[in-house]
Amino acid sequence: MAWSRKSAMFASLAVALYLLGLVLRNQQLVTVAVVLLSFLTWAAFMSNHADVSSSGRRIEDEKRIDGVQLNSIVALRKISSSRIFEDGEIEVTLRLQNKSNLAKIVEVRDRVPEVMRVKKGANYVLMELGPQRETTIKYTIETPLRGFYTIGPVCIRIQDAFGLFHNEREVNLYDDFLVFPKMEDIKDALIKSRVPKIFTGAVNIRNPGEGSNFYNLREYIPGDPMKKVNWSATARSGGKMMVNEYERDAVSDIILIIDSRSVSETGPVSRNSLVYSTRAAASLAQYFLSRRDSVGLVVYSDEIVSVDRDTGKKQLYVLLTKLSGAIAKGNTPLKVVTNRIMPHINRGSPIIILSPLEDDSTIVDAVRDLRARNFDVTVLSPSSLEFEFDAKRLDRTGYEVLKTERDILMSELRGLGAFVMDWEPDMMLNTALAGARGF
Amino acid sequence: MAKKVSVDGGGDTSHLYESKTIRSSAPSRKKAAGRLKSSTEIPKDAIPEIHVPSFIESFFGGPVVAKQKFLPADRMVSSLQIGAASSLTILCFLTLAITPVSGTAWFAVSNILGLGSLGGLFHLSLIVIGLIGGIYGTFQRDKRAMLVSYVTLILVTIRFAGSTVEFRFDFLPEGEIAQKFILILYAVFLVMYIELSSGVIRFSMLDTSIRMNEVYVMGVKKITRKYHTSLAIAPVIAGIVALMTLLINLIIPAIVDIFDGSSDVASERLRESVELTSVYGVALGTAIVFLIIAIMFGVNLPLRIQQMRERGA
Repeated sequence: MAWSRKSAMFASLAVALYLLGLVLRNQQLVTVAVVLLSFLTWAAFMSNHADVSSSGRRIEDEKRIDGVQLNSIVALRKISSSRIFEDGEIEVTLRLQNKSNLAKIVEVRDRVPEVMRVKKGANYVLMELGPQRETTIKYTIETPLRGFYTIGPVCIRIQDAFGLFHNEREVNLYDDFLVFPKMEDIKDALIKSRVPKIFTGAVNIRNPGEGSNFYNLREYIPGDPMKKVNWSATARSGGKMMVNEYERDAVSDIILIIDSRSVSETGPVSRNSLVYSTRAAASLAQYFLSRRDSVGLVVYSDEIVSVDRDTGKKQLYVLLTKLSGAIAKGNTPLKVVTNRIMPHINRGSPIIILSPLEDDSTIVDAVRDLRARNFDVTVLSPSSLEFEFDAKRLDRTGYEVLKTERDILMSELRGLGAFVMDWEPDMMLNTALAGARGF
Repeated sequence: MAKKVSVDGGGDTSHLYESKTIRSSAPSRKKAAGRLKSSTEIPKDAIPEIHVPSFIESFFGGPVVAKQKFLPADRMVSSLQIGAASSLTILCFLTLAITPVSGTAWFAVSNILGLGSLGGLFHLSLIVIGLIGGIYGTFQRDKRAMLVSYVTLILVTIRFAGSTVEFRFDFLPEGEIAQKFILILYAVFLVMYIELSSGVIRFSMLDTSIRMNEVYVMGVKKITRKYHTSLAIAPVIAGIVALMTLLINLIIPAIVDIFDGSSDVASERLRESVELTSVYGVALGTAIVFLIIAIMFGVNLPLRIQQMRERGA
């Protein structure tokens, strides 16, 4: 049984008046103290009556009746989905059963993660639960931010009518769910591999071969299929047989590198570099996988987490899960990451780095190394300066100084042949990509 | 989608954009930077608001009286406000009736100053402040005014009484039981006023939470009915316990009388005992009554009653 602030105030007032009454030999004060104490005692007596013992089970386990049935209040929960994208909604159904033969007035609070907002219904209910009755509470929560989340426990509280004492139990009923970063439709990422792979795919790689996009014209060589002969060009060339050549279609290995160091979370919770980077990575992964590329992922924070290149829808969910779990911590330099992954990537593969480019003196060296090995490097840099400035956490002078430093770094990276884009908060990913590739 | 673009002072350049997609450009950072002034002064809105707790707040771990905004009072809150105001009015009358100015600190000070009426005036003004502050606090739902009211109404009773029950007005009964009954009535009204006025705040918070969709209440009538029932029962119980405590000087001789039936000497002596009739007798009564209550809690009686009710239901 827990005391409230009010009951503590009543008790201390009663004791003070009682002692003062004895000192001043004042029966009036003693009487007030005794009435206050009696009032408190009665409330404590009544709240002890309302003892709660409860436990929780999932709705799926409900059929199993071998659970411990010491409970007078049982909570069961069901959530509409355990995997959802940012800005999605989850419907939660909480069923409460009173196994007791007495009616109870209970306060029920189903604990939802702090970042979630209850959109419809309420997760905090005050109700009178009749004997051997059950009731269902439904509410909908919005999922604004990616991550792994848990709903629960269910807090059940019974208090006396005056709010002086309460009994509280936590029903250890938890439901986990995963919020994936939201994805943006990308029309064209403008990123292609320069190196052919063995297996052909849907993406042309600017080399002649078996494909669908026109590459150029050349003279006929014995052995060329007749369907490749361009008769119009043959007629114009004065007798020489010309054939069409096509760009070779092939799959590319795309490597996404996400900066998840502590510095990447600079800015407001919902608007920072890491949030933008994970959303961009999810969108890019979806786009590249849809055109049958192999996509690999490296997330670096205090450790380096990587997902090996693969294709298909399953890979998308693997990548999304890793992106959901990216937590900003540590300060691993980019150079360490590139040194570790370079031996395992095909030369010429496109590498997309999503980083705020802050607090890392090895960025230039790392990009130089990548470029020296002919990797196609694209850097999308969500600007934490803008987030900080928008949130009014950065003064103008500081903003200007830091922006100048950032511009210099970006110019240096561009000078190394990397495609770099200063990704401002209001810019669409498509626009940022186009900007990075010089369109 | 092709878009015609014209440049002031230049020729038509739309042919350059034929069959090309013109994308809206990203917000220009350079342009934004150009708008920035060269002043190095930190903008006022860039400095976060920091609340530095006062000494009292640090001591209590937070504000003593939190400021809250409520939606207009609903029916339940209005009825509680009326109840609190009514009990406050009765309480103030009872305070005025049973609390003479003699024995108070301000009475002593005014006598020393040679201004006897000043003490009485101060005494009366304390009661009036308690009344006005309480009514204002209850209807405006201002906890600070309520606190002022509580403090003044308790402060006014702090006086040296010399173990005698004295009333301000002569028309009040002088019998021991009647006097103690009036004292209990006063104490019950004081406690009820504190409870009702704090109930105004509690139910206003609940009502605001309900209307703001922060909390959902199922069966409001049953919940409020329970509160109303408790409001009726708790003062009666508290009053009975207090009466038992105050009348210990009659209860103990009566018990002794039962065991010592041959002669009434012992019980008579006890009845006339100065200690038992004084405030120390009340202290003894309190000790006995609360010892019994402690034993009840010690044997976990509330839980046993609960279990019995569960089985019987």
